[in-house]
Amino acid sequence: MTAQTKISQLVEHLFRHEAGKLVAVLTRVFGPENIDLAEDVVQDSLVEAMDNWQYKGIPDNPAAWLFRVAKNKALNIINREKYQRKYSSEASYFLKSEWTAEPALNHFFSEQEIQDDQLKMIFTCCHPAISPDSQIALALKTLCGFSIPEIAKAFITTEENITKRLVRARQHIREAKIVFEIPYGENLEKRLNTVLETIYLLFNEGYSASRGNSIIRYELCEEAIRLAQIIAADKNIPQKGNVFSLLALMFLNASRFKAREDAEGNLLTMAQQDRSLWDNRMKDIGLRYLISATENNDISIYHILAAISAHYCISPDYESTDWAGILSLYDSLLQFDNSPVVLLNRAIAVSKVNGIEKGLAELELLKDNPLLKSYHLFYSTQAELYIQANHFSKAADCLKKAIELATLQAEKELLTRKLISIEKNNFNSMS
Amino acid sequence: MKEFMLLIRNEGDAKASLSAEQQQVFLKACMVYIENLMKNGKLKSAQPLVREGKMVSGSPGSFKDGPYNESKEIIVGYYHILAKDIDEAVAIAQGNPEFAYVKGAKIEVRPIKMMEESTSYIYPENK
Repeated sequence: MTAQTKISQLVEHLFRHEAGKLVAVLTRVFGPENIDLAEDVVQDSLVEAMDNWQYKGIPDNPAAWLFRVAKNKALNIINREKYQRKYSSEASYFLKSEWTAEPALNHFFSEQEIQDDQLKMIFTCCHPAISPDSQIALALKTLCGFSIPEIAKAFITTEENITKRLVRARQHIREAKIVFEIPYGENLEKRLNTVLETIYLLFNEGYSASRGNSIIRYELCEEAIRLAQIIAADKNIPQKGNVFSLLALMFLNASRFKAREDAEGNLLTMAQQDRSLWDNRMKDIGLRYLISATENNDISIYHILAAISAHYCISPDYESTDWAGILSLYDSLLQFDNSPVVLLNRAIAVSKVNGIEKGLAELELLKDNPLLKSYHLFYSTQAELYIQANHFSKAADCLKKAIELATLQAEKELLTRKLISIEKNNFNSMS
Repeated sequence: MKEFMLLIRNEGDAKASLSAEQQQVFLKACMVYIENLMKNGKLKSAQPLVREGKMVSGSPGSFKDGPYNESKEIIVGYYHILAKDIDEAVAIAQGNPEFAYVKGAKIEVRPIKMMEESTSYIYPENK
């Protein structure tokens, strides 16, 4: 590896892991209305790192080097622009005094303060004045060090769209004069719920099916977990049941990440996954979080989803899963979320507990549900149950409908392969 | 928590007699001192005062607008701090690098008169 490559990789790594912290502390210094200035300073510092390290070599503590350079740049900006740019942050009074400007920056750049700033940044990004899809784009850009192209890839949209969302987010911050702080009182609980939703959305973007680069996808999951852990570690937040349950859910799901695809990148069902590829360490962490989450008696949707995930994780194989337990969890889940996927998964659980015919009967009850009528998964689920009941021609009919309605090419292909193999079976069993 | 003003007094331009190197060391010491106060949540603000100024005296209709006499003892800056009592405020003042580096420096420690704290008086309802 050339020195050049080594340096680029290091800067890349630093960008991923330190840039978020730096943007957070600089946002505290300059105020949320100057988030773009914070990002510029970080960007400039990374460029300087690249240039400098090529000639002088990599310093002993590259992260500390980066922080020092960013801090000095911030100090220069403050000294130069003292009377021009208005900083409305709590830091601004200190920054206006010759005696306190530099000590204030030193203090803000200390370990403990930076940790708190990341938390404040998470809450700022999820402020109700910012629209939901802008919230997550802003969080990814400022906290997680994602570039605009990367965010665009993750959300399967254009860079232009993402740029627009970021511009709007910054505008809303300025207009609403958002303050860089952790909300308190009843605002805290409300905002925390939004924050957890955003984090869960972020996790699902990483976890969801067959899209984009799998390295980026896994990093999205990692970032979601990291942000939730920052919240879980903070003493200002009293009720942690929901954070712990979300962390349980994320760890339990992520523990199965490596087994989800086959060699060709096709998604495998729970039944097909090679459980030896499941990560036991992550599973254990997830289970511990689940226990912590249930210490007080509040239940959130994350508690239920985590419990369902836990059932899969602790079962040695698909057939020995505690289906009765899962079914009752799905019954509870319906109270929070009666979306198509939940209804279908519940029907599968019914078929396991009460037999295939009962499962098919559940699906029959749902066939006029407007959300399911044109949903390809409804028909592929029906097909699956028909196959298990040996009703091959009915299964074939369902598969054909599913293929018609499927949107992703990869899914169409998967369903078509299944259809072909059934028709072969059918043909064989008839002859 | 109570609030105090620390008024830093120097004799004339006492700092001018410090060498450039000593000034740097003194500045560094001040930065450390201030950062510590911030870390402990004791500092509200601290600012230097410019050496030029005016002294206003007299009465309405006949004000004297004299120059500020910079050769005598003057206030060179202030610290607005938080402390639980005057003893703590004095201890904070004693930690100021002025005493180690600037001959004849003095710090005046004055409690700020705050509004009276709540006496938990419950407003009577009209029964």
